[in-house]
Amino acid sequence: MTGAAHAPALEARGLRRRLGITDAVAGLDLTVRPGELYGLVGPDGAGKTTALRLLVGLLVPDAGEARVDGVSVMSGGPALREALGYMPQQFSLYGDLSVAENMRFFADLFGLAPAIFRQREAELMQLTRLDRFRDRRASALSGGMYKKLALSCALLHRPRVLVLDEPTNGVDPVSRRELWDLLYQLVDEGLAVLLATPYMDEAARCHRVGLMYAGKLLAEDTPAALVKGFDDVTWLVHLSDAADPGARDAAEARLRERPEVRALSPQGGGLRVVVDRAGDAEFRRYFAAADAHWRLSPVAPDFEDVFLRLVTHAS
Amino acid sequence: MRAEANPNVIEVEGLTRLFGDFRAVDDVNFQVRRGEIFGYLGANGAGKSTTIRMLCGLLAPTGGRATVAGADIAREPQRVKERIGYMSQKFSLYMDLSVVENLNFFASAYGLAGAERRARIGDALAQADLEGKGDLVTRDLAGGVRQRLALASALLHRPPIIFLDEPTAGVDPVARRGFWRVIRELSRAGTTIFVTTHHLDEAELCHRVGLMVDGKLVALDTPEGLKRTHVPGTMMSVGGQGEGRARNIAAAVTGAPGVLAVQPFGLRVHVRVDDRLAAPAAFGAFLASRGLPADDVEVVEPGLEDVFLALVQR
Amino acid sequence: MSPFLRRTRAMALKEFRHMARDPQVVLLALAMPLVLILVFGYGVSFDVEHVPLAVVDQDRTAESRAFARAFSAAGTFDVVATPDDPRAVEPLFRQSLARAALIIPEGFTRARARGEAATAQMLVDGSDNATATIALGYGDAIGLTLAQAELPRGLSAPLEARVRTMFNPSLRSAVFIVPGLIVLVLVIVSVMLTALTVAREYEQGSMEQLFSTPVGRLEIILGKLAPYFLLGLVQVLLVLVVGVTLFDVPLRGSVGLIFLAASIFLLGELTYGLVISIITRSQMVAAQIAAISTFLPALILSDFIFPIDNMPPPLRFVSSLLPPRYLVHALRSIMLRGNGLETIVSDLLPMAGFFAVMLLIATRRFRRTVA
Repeated sequence: MTGAAHAPALEARGLRRRLGITDAVAGLDLTVRPGELYGLVGPDGAGKTTALRLLVGLLVPDAGEARVDGVSVMSGGPALREALGYMPQQFSLYGDLSVAENMRFFADLFGLAPAIFRQREAELMQLTRLDRFRDRRASALSGGMYKKLALSCALLHRPRVLVLDEPTNGVDPVSRRELWDLLYQLVDEGLAVLLATPYMDEAARCHRVGLMYAGKLLAEDTPAALVKGFDDVTWLVHLSDAADPGARDAAEARLRERPEVRALSPQGGGLRVVVDRAGDAEFRRYFAAADAHWRLSPVAPDFEDVFLRLVTHAS
Repeated sequence: MRAEANPNVIEVEGLTRLFGDFRAVDDVNFQVRRGEIFGYLGANGAGKSTTIRMLCGLLAPTGGRATVAGADIAREPQRVKERIGYMSQKFSLYMDLSVVENLNFFASAYGLAGAERRARIGDALAQADLEGKGDLVTRDLAGGVRQRLALASALLHRPPIIFLDEPTAGVDPVARRGFWRVIRELSRAGTTIFVTTHHLDEAELCHRVGLMVDGKLVALDTPEGLKRTHVPGTMMSVGGQGEGRARNIAAAVTGAPGVLAVQPFGLRVHVRVDDRLAAPAAFGAFLASRGLPADDVEVVEPGLEDVFLALVQR
Repeated sequence: MSPFLRRTRAMALKEFRHMARDPQVVLLALAMPLVLILVFGYGVSFDVEHVPLAVVDQDRTAESRAFARAFSAAGTFDVVATPDDPRAVEPLFRQSLARAALIIPEGFTRARARGEAATAQMLVDGSDNATATIALGYGDAIGLTLAQAELPRGLSAPLEARVRTMFNPSLRSAVFIVPGLIVLVLVIVSVMLTALTVAREYEQGSMEQLFSTPVGRLEIILGKLAPYFLLGLVQVLLVLVVGVTLFDVPLRGSVGLIFLAASIFLLGELTYGLVISIITRSQMVAAQIAAISTFLPALILSDFIFPIDNMPPPLRFVSSLLPPRYLVHALRSIMLRGNGLETIVSDLLPMAGFFAVMLLIATRRFRRTVA
């Protein structure tokens, strides 16, 4: 817990950037410490990609500043680039080059000595299990494989800060979990990771989360603390005839009419209901009288509940 | 008339497709009932897309047979195409045309004209929750709205079945909820939905879920049934108390008697245990015996992701 | 190796790989010069033959008939009509029955006999400009030969005609074409390819990844130039080999000098291609701009087909700002006249200047940002 260990590896101070007629990023402050996995979560168009591009110096901010290890990303030279690893959201490698050729190219741009390159390439290939696909063209890789290659290319030069834009988009669940295991391993070794994601279940896996909406952070904390601060009540409605989708639909339609019900979604054989705290007693009274086949049990709110609540509140 | 009596709108028997020696789809059997939301899951390359392409009449099977809306996919692929709607991940919309102009174009491609065309477009707009957005230019639409427009264009010819191939890839949760509201509304109105997805929270919304691994359909059941069968036990979420600690907890409990699976999850660790450790007291004692604090433990529901991993990594 | 060289080499190597993975492009780049030289060499002949000629002989003497015969004898002109009145010529032109007319005025023989300047008039249908220019030149040459044979010494002819006959005695156009063709081939293929390359990186998203590395703008530019530069030199070699073997194009000067001139030209044009790419960031727009803005000057403003001397001053000025005319001039000077470095320096300097300006624009306009 020394001060040095917690000095920010990546820092945004009052970042602003207009794109066209919208304020894509409208005053963003955040810090990511070494060994921290920070998730920037938000819907499409919240400004996540613009924020990341500002943070790695691919866009010039209208105001504010982004710093890596205390150095401004706009003024930093090659040394700054070497401290940063960046993986864009879209396909950004060379589809007509093989896995090995792509890695070699980026290693050369980062000036890795051949012996060091061979060693790190072997490590990363083993870590990502890409060795079997060494000679395959990047365009012929599956979504998950491609993301692993892009991650490898961003890691070759051992950056201290890793910035990932929706790293698991289009990746199947198995590859997704492998990517996460890889990220945890890197973070344990002291890397600072900032990732943008639209997936709530992924946000819950981060150490700290910033909820981004309309270019600003609505909230920022650990996932557990954010969920703890959730003010509404979440219930699971069990339906005895769960196998019959018709019964579930009918129940859903009835519950949706209740004014105190804020959100409703099918979960398992039942329905997950978010109820306004002020109306909770009323809801329970209604429920007790409603249908003998229904049963109510409390469930913990999850991250998606928090997010939807905050976004609804903001818009 | 026979198709009306048969509750199954898709029937697949021994469906097989080879690419050279590679068995992309290997002896697959299932039925899909009218109005059902049928989720089709699998890792990249497991054979999902090949199955969909065969069922849509775009690819001839090597073996087995399948009927879709009463039409045989091998002998009557053209009739299959007339009776289905298909929306791929890379749907093709004209970005510089408005919502209605796009739908007009696709409607004329289906040979619709005049009052009939206007009526169908009106219906599709309503079904896809796009009312009032008809004059907006597609380029200016948010990702989720575009997705619903693509869906609307697949609904114009009123197909009894729609195939959705990863319809929500890269769409945020708010928009995904909107999309699935539309899907479930369609299902209620009797349209059968066959959908592939990488999002297991969406799979939870399906009536039944099939899981493909290496060309074979290895599991098919309701989401609840899958969890009961394939991830037995109780899932405990243990707090990690500080960065780096989660990994230590994981290392300390992995392989212990009664522990079925261990998975790091942010600052926490998910530990699935059998009956021996399922009681809070038993689990607390177990943690204490490993030198771990037991003050931050929650019981969490296993998800389809756990099912998926259990089956794929088997 | 310095980081600068390493990164430039890595860029160049990558570009070579792209090229190798797309053999159709290389094939096109090599087939294009062959096709063009065969088309221009055999098909589009600038050698004018069988031009329909109307002869209006108002002199009607033995000598005037001999003079008219001399025109038809060379095979360049076919006498198709012999009207009495010069006013009959215009309708013949209008109906395309004749493209040229020789008018021998009354008193032609008498004037010659007195040793005065005898004037015969040559009319050419100017609507077909290329034929007209060449027909005029031929008429000039024939008349000149005749005059020299028959007239007393001391009456000299225009220098222009003399120069032409000296370096291209048979008036064959292939000899003229090869230098112009080299210019055309280089701009069509190479500039187009470089114009696509930066735009492609923007479009496929790799520019974002590239800018997140320490690679510099100049390193990207030089690395991208390298493979297309080499491809261009191979094209020059191809055109030269085919020109010399198939069309007997003379190579009087140094081959090294030819490549030096072509190299400087290529660097300028390729960098211009990159500038287009950097500014447009779109492959489609870049391709169109590249095609129009390089092909037209290479064809029209290079002295390849249309003599710059005959152009109106504004066009002549524009041509002096663009490299094609300098390379055409330098190549003709080296190949046909065997001139050395000292005479072509005045051509090399403007081309080098163009390269410098383009390189400056390219690095200035190339920003390390994605929007």
